[in-house]
Amino acid sequence: MTAQKNIDFASAKSELVAIAGKSGALVSGVAAADAFGDVPEGYRPDDILPHAKSVFVIGGAQPRAGDWQSPNYQHMEVTTTSDRMQTLALKMAHIIEDRFSYYAVCVPPGVDRGQQPFMSISMAADLAGCGSRSLAGPVLHPEYGFMYYGAVITTMPLPGDKPFDPPACPAPECVEMYAAQGTTPCLATCPAKAGGCLGGRIEDGRFADRQYDAERCATRVQNYWVPGFQHVLGATLREPDADKQKMMLFSSMFSRTLWSMTYSNVSQGQCAECMRVCPVGREHRTKK
Amino acid sequence: MIGSGVSAMTANQTESATQQIKQFALDAGADVVGIADPRAWDEHAPEGHRPYDILPGAQSVVVVGSRGPTAGAWRSPKHRVMEVNGYDFRNDAASHRVADMIESQFDHHAIQSPALPTGGHLPPISMMLAAVLAGLGTRSLAANIILNPKYGLLYYSACITTLECDHDGMLEQDVCPHHMCVESFRRFGKTPCMAACPSDEGGCLDGSIDEEGRIETSYYDRERCVSRAMNFGINSFQKALAQIVAEEDEERQHSMIHSDFFSRSCSAITHYKESVAQCFECMRVCPIGRAERKLQ
Repeated sequence: MTAQKNIDFASAKSELVAIAGKSGALVSGVAAADAFGDVPEGYRPDDILPHAKSVFVIGGAQPRAGDWQSPNYQHMEVTTTSDRMQTLALKMAHIIEDRFSYYAVCVPPGVDRGQQPFMSISMAADLAGCGSRSLAGPVLHPEYGFMYYGAVITTMPLPGDKPFDPPACPAPECVEMYAAQGTTPCLATCPAKAGGCLGGRIEDGRFADRQYDAERCATRVQNYWVPGFQHVLGATLREPDADKQKMMLFSSMFSRTLWSMTYSNVSQGQCAECMRVCPVGREHRTKK
Repeated sequence: MIGSGVSAMTANQTESATQQIKQFALDAGADVVGIADPRAWDEHAPEGHRPYDILPGAQSVVVVGSRGPTAGAWRSPKHRVMEVNGYDFRNDAASHRVADMIESQFDHHAIQSPALPTGGHLPPISMMLAAVLAGLGTRSLAANIILNPKYGLLYYSACITTLECDHDGMLEQDVCPHHMCVESFRRFGKTPCMAACPSDEGGCLDGSIDEEGRIETSYYDRERCVSRAMNFGINSFQKALAQIVAEEDEERQHSMIHSDFFSRSCSAITHYKESVAQCFECMRVCPIGRAERKLQ
């Protein structure tokens, strides 16, 4: 690809959005790099790429309508598609560099030291108008609901988008339900007061005092993968009985944990119940 | 049946197939593509490690290379960005697509060449050798990394096929040392890569350049490099696990299992885009491919 000169940044953005859409993104948008001012130092776009001007965000690859219909909950655990957005983000970074000659770096997935992300992709999605934060935790797109996101930080000064106003959450149905019952579908399915992970209120049509017990959620959502492996490894090593230890090593739990750590398409999250009941994007989860 | 009863192609057909395959590989995400003659391995690789040992009747090896880190990733002051984000497997994907295309379009056998270690640390087929024999690059003073004249460091995959293609020869001119490095060696006795990681000061690299500006000797301390470049991944996982198993104190063992180090080692062995190497310093200072990494 030959780098362009005299770039029209609005056209360039449209071109990037079109490529992202053609490559599998349902939504895409741009957050201005300087909109991350409230974020602690070290976690802003220009801490990852000096002189960053924009963050190009893509979203998509959510579970299909059929996935949500399966009565076998393990089906969703082993058919995750989240990696598609990360792969696409890396592709978009190369396209920005090859086509427009601006630096671009994909925001690394996962976590860095102390289980902290390199940069909040959720916040980038919010600022880029690709979704908004929810009572349940995930960023929700008003039309499609839950999806996976990827982000590319670039020195290219792309025109920025704005956060959704009103936000996707709470949906009108949830506002009505809260007024009538004092809870929403997600709060009702996983209430913090009854051993769940979620809490919060709705005031003037907006959510407030959101409570999310991340530690509790992680112990339930990430039953397999790295946290599950660490858990079962510790228990196995502590087992003094050799026969029992051998059984633990070859147990379903240990095996599935190893499967989920290898490239076996096992989701890192095994609970999607707050999203299952969410009305945002429901029409896209409903087919014949 | 694939490959059976297929008559030999004319020279024009071979040339046309070669061009189609190369263009297809580039469209599939490769930055460079070259085709090597499987017989070229005879001189360089022991029996069992040649293309026709993997696919009987192999006539061509289509080698693809792709850039790993973006130019932006090279500029990041956070070294962890390169560690986690360096590699997107585009070369693997491209070689698979090339294999599919050859089988469906040309009716010949085609496989992705196995490149991960299967015995000790040896792969069935060396992708470094494949890249050299396909004319995509030459060995360098920097850890023997194969450098492409345009891009420098690339990641390589290959597709072995029974389809006869036009073969590319090896590059006539060595990519390394760059003329700037020859000058540096003559003035200071070191090239940029050697200066970044000198073996006589605890680093991994040493070597010399002859009067004609070619590599005369090269030294690479692979064991030392592995212990530094692969801080997370299979090696660190094995190391940490051995320490955890040997730890007798239950509380301390619990802490070790849930430590950042072990978590990151676990994370690095998952399919989580964590690079298998965490040191790029010899490549960071390499002038080859620098133009491709300099943007706005």
